Amino acid sequence: MKHSMQVLGGIAVLSLLAAAAPARAATKAPAEIKIGTLYASSGPFAGISMPVYDGLKLWINQQNAAGGVYVGAFHKKIPIKLISYDDLSSTATAATLYNQLITRDKVNLLLSDSGSVLTSPAVPIAKEHKQFLFDVSGSGAAFFTKDNPYIALICLAETAIAPKYLADFLNSDGAKYGLKRIAILYSTNDFTGALAKAFTGFIKSAGKLKIVYDHGVPTSTSSYTVLINTIAATHPDAVVEMGYPGNDIAFLRNLRDVGVKFPFLFTIYSGTEIAELEHAVGAAAMTNVFSYVAGVTYQYKVNFGPTTPGFRAAWDKAYPPGSGAEWGMNALYGYHTGLVLQRVLATTKSLRQLDLRKAIFALSGKLTTLNGTFVLNSEGAQVGEIDPVGQLRPNGKGGLRLDVVYPPRYANAKPIIGKK
Amino acid sequence: MMLEYALLAGAIFGLYFALAGLGLNLVFGVMRIVNLAHGDFMMLGAFSAFWLFRLIHLNPLFSALFVLALFALLGLPLYYLLVPPLLRAKDPEMLSFILFFGFSQAIEALAAIAFGPSERSLPGRLLGRGPIRILGQAFPAAWTWSGIASAAAVLAVYLYLYHSRLGYLTRAVMEDREEALATGIDVHFVSAIAFGLGLALAGIAGVFAPFMLGSATPSMGLGLTLQSFVVIVIGSLGNPLGTVLGGIIYGVSLMFMQTYFSSWASLLPYVLLILILLVRPSGLLGRQVRRA
Repeated sequence: MKHSMQVLGGIAVLSLLAAAAPARAATKAPAEIKIGTLYASSGPFAGISMPVYDGLKLWINQQNAAGGVYVGAFHKKIPIKLISYDDLSSTATAATLYNQLITRDKVNLLLSDSGSVLTSPAVPIAKEHKQFLFDVSGSGAAFFTKDNPYIALICLAETAIAPKYLADFLNSDGAKYGLKRIAILYSTNDFTGALAKAFTGFIKSAGKLKIVYDHGVPTSTSSYTVLINTIAATHPDAVVEMGYPGNDIAFLRNLRDVGVKFPFLFTIYSGTEIAELEHAVGAAAMTNVFSYVAGVTYQYKVNFGPTTPGFRAAWDKAYPPGSGAEWGMNALYGYHTGLVLQRVLATTKSLRQLDLRKAIFALSGKLTTLNGTFVLNSEGAQVGEIDPVGQLRPNGKGGLRLDVVYPPRYANAKPIIGKK
Repeated sequence: MMLEYALLAGAIFGLYFALAGLGLNLVFGVMRIVNLAHGDFMMLGAFSAFWLFRLIHLNPLFSALFVLALFALLGLPLYYLLVPPLLRAKDPEMLSFILFFGFSQAIEALAAIAFGPSERSLPGRLLGRGPIRILGQAFPAAWTWSGIASAAAVLAVYLYLYHSRLGYLTRAVMEDREEALATGIDVHFVSAIAFGLGLALAGIAGVFAPFMLGSATPSMGLGLTLQSFVVIVIGSLGNPLGTVLGGIIYGVSLMFMQTYFSSWASLLPYVLLILILLVRPSGLLGRQVRRA
């Protein structure tokens, strides 16, 4: 009997040791943290992709210069290895490369390329492979569903709520400024198409403004003169144009060249990529245009990482003039993504994908960086900071500054409507 | 009013597209090869104008002259490097697709490294301030100048082809390369001139691209090649003057689409291409002018 008990005891101890062995193996710290992402060096999305990539690289370089990123699960700093491929702005190429990052490179953290179009192939692939997708700026509402726990949007509010302040401003204050008729022109892609749909919904449900023009154009549209003439024929008081930077540039140029003026004009990138648009169309064409106010111009009180001026200083040092890197909202998105990953890695229990998910969801509402407060809903969509509405004004030095006009808690200026 | 505006805007835009397609058609007409890097040379023309203005404040009208000379000179060695080996192949047309596609990709990649991926443009005021009224409709002054420059370039090509000795030789090569060779024409020299002229026309079209298309990026080439290709197929492949008709039809159709079916405008090149290939594969001016 005693012998039998000894045998059973031995088996039990061996079983425990056997069970513990994989756990010990799993907790062994990797030599490097592999972050996988894509970028577009060319093609229509290069302009929004490369600044994100440059911002992310800046954060990685900073971490590696300090001995690596701190990983809480191992109580030590581990160097980051960035594995990145060029998708050339092609969704087909991106799909192949996302697969490659997961199955061949076996990255620890998977980041999508910038924007909804190049994020769209990553969402089903990541879900299928049970790989958590750190969605940088793909804000298409369709990406976030109850049956997909493998995604979280990091940088900007999902499209279903992003245009809320703009719509609220027009609905609540529009009549005061004589804005009764509105024209909406948008580029038909996953991002601006969804934004326009949400915005139109807000306007329609309030019933304060009459929509006199609501049309989409291909994202490749480069000439807006005829469209502007068609819009002008509907006599709108307010015009909202939602497109990528190239669309905004062509629209603003054509508007100025053809001499048509609207009392209220909104474009997305006038305020978020001021430098790029100012280079392309000139300050005069952008004066009094309304736009979003992103963290790149509005200073949030941060509880983690540098403030916007601090980041700008680091950016200018890393990418001096002539380096080809473009400062702007997307640069900030890339760096902010790095800060979020830094907190995720510091707090995750392991590098298992669902533990990474737990870690990023635990940050919701508690992390405020230079991009504002990070808040996720239960489906992984970003619902933290909705970009306020701003208006571009001359800065007295031949350039432009962006004043915040709505909502009132952020506003530092009153809107000027009806002047160009 | 919307109809008249679309019609006039389409005509101006069409002239620009005619210029964009002219060089591509000249090269095809003379050498029977398709330069899929044509749009990339337009992109290089646009960036040349951008940097010439940025560095020495050169007006785009003068940049166009500079680009004309530079690209024409560039075309001569490029011709001898690329085209004779292609023409010796069994299927030069197909091989040219592959070779120039690779060339296009290389140019785009190098331009992205050199210039960055962002949109670049030129101030519209460089080609006149404020709108210009044509038949009661207001159009950007830059459009009008671009249209005039395009018309001038088309006229110059016409004069070259029909009123110069080199032009006669060029048309002889277009008619029958082997026969031209047999009659003692220096086919390679004539072709090299045509190739240089084709690149020069692409470069000039590129100079005006920031004004007509809003901005320039390294990735714009492929789209421009496609649009140029549609224009020359409509007019007639191998007939440079048919390009004018093709350009105007394409421009007017595009503006009508933008006015009345804006969401579908990007389908236009493909729809026109399919329609022309089904209904009149030789293009609208195919038969008459080639034999003129």
